[in-house]
Amino acid sequence: MGRIAFAWELGAEFGHAVACNEIARKLRGRGHQVAFIFRELHQIDFLADCAADEIFQAPVSLVEGKGLENPASLADILVGCGYDSPQHLAGILGGWIAWLRRWKPDMLVSDFSPTALLAASVLGVRRVNYGNGFGIPPRMSPLPAFRFDEPVPPERLARSDAHALASVNGALARFGVAPLPMLAQVFASDEDFLATFPELDSYGSRPRTGYWGPRYSVDQGVATRWPAGAGKRVAVYVKRNLAQMDSLIEVLAGSTHRVAAFIPELEPQRVARLRSASRIVSERPMRLGPLLPGCDVFVSHGGNVCVGTLMAGVPQLVFPSQYEQYITARRVEQLGAGLWLQPQSTAAEIRAAMERVLYDPSYALNARAYARRYPAYSPAEAQRRVMKRIEELLAEPPRHRALPRLDGAPVLPRTPS
Amino acid sequence: MARILCAWEYGADLGHVRRLVPVAEALRDLGHEVSIAFRDSAHLEAARSRGFDAYVAPLLRIPPFVNPAPANFSDVLLNIGFADLHSISGALRAWRSLLELLGTQLIVADYAPTAMVAGRLAGTRMVTIGTGFALPPPTDPLPALRPWAPLEEGVLRAHDDRLVRTIREAIGPAGAGRAPVRARDIFAADAHLLCTFPELDPFAPRDTGEYVGPQGDASSGEDLRWQGTAAHRIFAYLKPRNERFDAVVAALHALDAECIVAAPGLGHERASALSGGGVRVVSAPVNLDPLLAEASLCITHAGPGVAARALAAAVPMALLPQHLEQFLIARRIEQSGAASVVRPDTRQPDFHAWLASLLADASLREGARRVAEAHRGHSFGEATRRAAERISQVALA
Repeated sequence: MGRIAFAWELGAEFGHAVACNEIARKLRGRGHQVAFIFRELHQIDFLADCAADEIFQAPVSLVEGKGLENPASLADILVGCGYDSPQHLAGILGGWIAWLRRWKPDMLVSDFSPTALLAASVLGVRRVNYGNGFGIPPRMSPLPAFRFDEPVPPERLARSDAHALASVNGALARFGVAPLPMLAQVFASDEDFLATFPELDSYGSRPRTGYWGPRYSVDQGVATRWPAGAGKRVAVYVKRNLAQMDSLIEVLAGSTHRVAAFIPELEPQRVARLRSASRIVSERPMRLGPLLPGCDVFVSHGGNVCVGTLMAGVPQLVFPSQYEQYITARRVEQLGAGLWLQPQSTAAEIRAAMERVLYDPSYALNARAYARRYPAYSPAEAQRRVMKRIEELLAEPPRHRALPRLDGAPVLPRTPS
Repeated sequence: MARILCAWEYGADLGHVRRLVPVAEALRDLGHEVSIAFRDSAHLEAARSRGFDAYVAPLLRIPPFVNPAPANFSDVLLNIGFADLHSISGALRAWRSLLELLGTQLIVADYAPTAMVAGRLAGTRMVTIGTGFALPPPTDPLPALRPWAPLEEGVLRAHDDRLVRTIREAIGPAGAGRAPVRARDIFAADAHLLCTFPELDPFAPRDTGEYVGPQGDASSGEDLRWQGTAAHRIFAYLKPRNERFDAVVAALHALDAECIVAAPGLGHERASALSGGGVRVVSAPVNLDPLLAEASLCITHAGPGVAARALAAAVPMALLPQHLEQFLIARRIEQSGAASVVRPDTRQPDFHAWLASLLADASLREGARRVAEAHRGHSFGEATRRAAERISQVALA
């Protein structure tokens, strides 16, 4: 049986931990050893049940996004997350290399973990990308812009790309490893599990064969039923730092809707304002299977759970809190399957948007029409296929050899001497 | 020989890296297998490039709201993430995995409270190392950080209780037997090494702790020399972003003295613009010892590193502490008679008059001479080796 490490280096949403945990549980159930090496350790407490044998801190930059107002490409994000200088990146890369050589995974599953991938490539460890698309860029040089609502000068993309690549190659040189010809090669993998469909891909359409479908679960979490009553059924999955939290609570509490809300660490005063006989407020993720069939709108930030529950034909109301989610929100809007709200939106605006999605039948019709485009998809089947492919790869020799050394010397050994 | 993990979590200055990496090297020279865990990724390469496996220490979420004037050290820890049950719970799991993966037998903790709680739970031997601030005296409750502004014991105990309650809840019933019961338990270790002089220790005099003295190599910076024959030579080591920086430099220009101002990060252009007459401003770290050996006055923020060098060189100090730790150190030096302090919360003084009066103050010179005499023969280089030997002793006991 294999040793499988799930790495989550960038991106600050609960969805990363949850998605890794789902695949990890299946692999562990088949006898594999699993480690999580995550950027945010507090998320572990909110997993329905943590599937990892061991948990580690991912080597990440302590300061992120410094001096970057509006990233336009993944290269911009990388420069803000440790790829600012060879010195800084070498430290982070060294942390990953040291850990990989100690823990000795047979396979690294990267959830938006470029430096983990780079370390795995230095050592020749099998590796796969697993994510909704944003962290798995098309392998272009320079890395393409994801920002689409304002012009991005090509020279800006090239400049950021060159900056990040110089850090990569300067860091690799410190390990005696030959330079990469292009930044996109950092993401080289044995398989890309693009957990979305083209309509919602952050980078637009890619070859269809590359899509594995959204990653979310309907069979995990606290068993929850819709409260009795006649009101519309509103599911809510948001973080407590949602800018419009008080307005959202005001809208929900002032309506006749039935509500099932997962808002981790929501302050007791706010819980008290929201909770009632017809409104459930959960500290833990709720099992979505029993909730989705009757759900009239799903309220979220636009992460995995949005992309996932859309596949159940549920229309969406999206509160994007960062650009990746904003891209998803705009695509949901383009599909006619939901609406999205600005951070400064008022209670009246939220109420109006929610009413439109709930009472204008086109949103539910479009959501169902979108889901019908992928009749073979189910969340469990998507997970099973990912898990099966990981096992196939484990049974094969690694597809990528360790990166060549500058001096022609043997590659870095995978275990410490 | 032992497997040792040198951990640094909190405190922003380079001092932690400059202390811990040489200690790690000295431990390796003694035959131990040493790894590093730093919270700040920016400094990992300083350890890795010296041949150590360097990991990122498990991170606590940075809390959105902090108390700008913490009452005691429990309050400090609550401010830096220890009020967050889920963060502590996750970080302790990650520390446990790392300690097991490395087979760690001893933790050297440099302001590394989460590592210490994890080490306590794992039954790992521990040695703390630092300049004193991160090691509060083991009283119950932990003492107030501002002894001149007394607080009721109940206030201090409330912070202790909240800290311990949160940590114990994060640990859960399985680890309850080893979980800290009082706040002071969090800091318990087999030895406490104070890499400073008692005159610089914010909590001196204290019962626990061994003074191995300040350590390190101060010669890595730019090598400058005094040039003129002015009656007074003033050396200033200041943060260029400090709000008093410009006023101090202006005052130096008006003094009849040769002045060297080291302001790392200032930028070469501004440094040359501020230089002229008897004042040289450089934007890089400088080699301290040759300058302090012939200086009449040292102006600094009372960071423990520079202050120790000035103290050993018998140079009186004009101190402009920026935050609580520096203020506590400054206050100690003032008590020893070797410094004058401008409190961070007071109005800007007339720096020219203040500095002129210090240059003329014979009792200050005498105070500085007396303290230096008490530490005559202290070797900054030897202190690292002594610390490593003491750690080694604990590891092999």
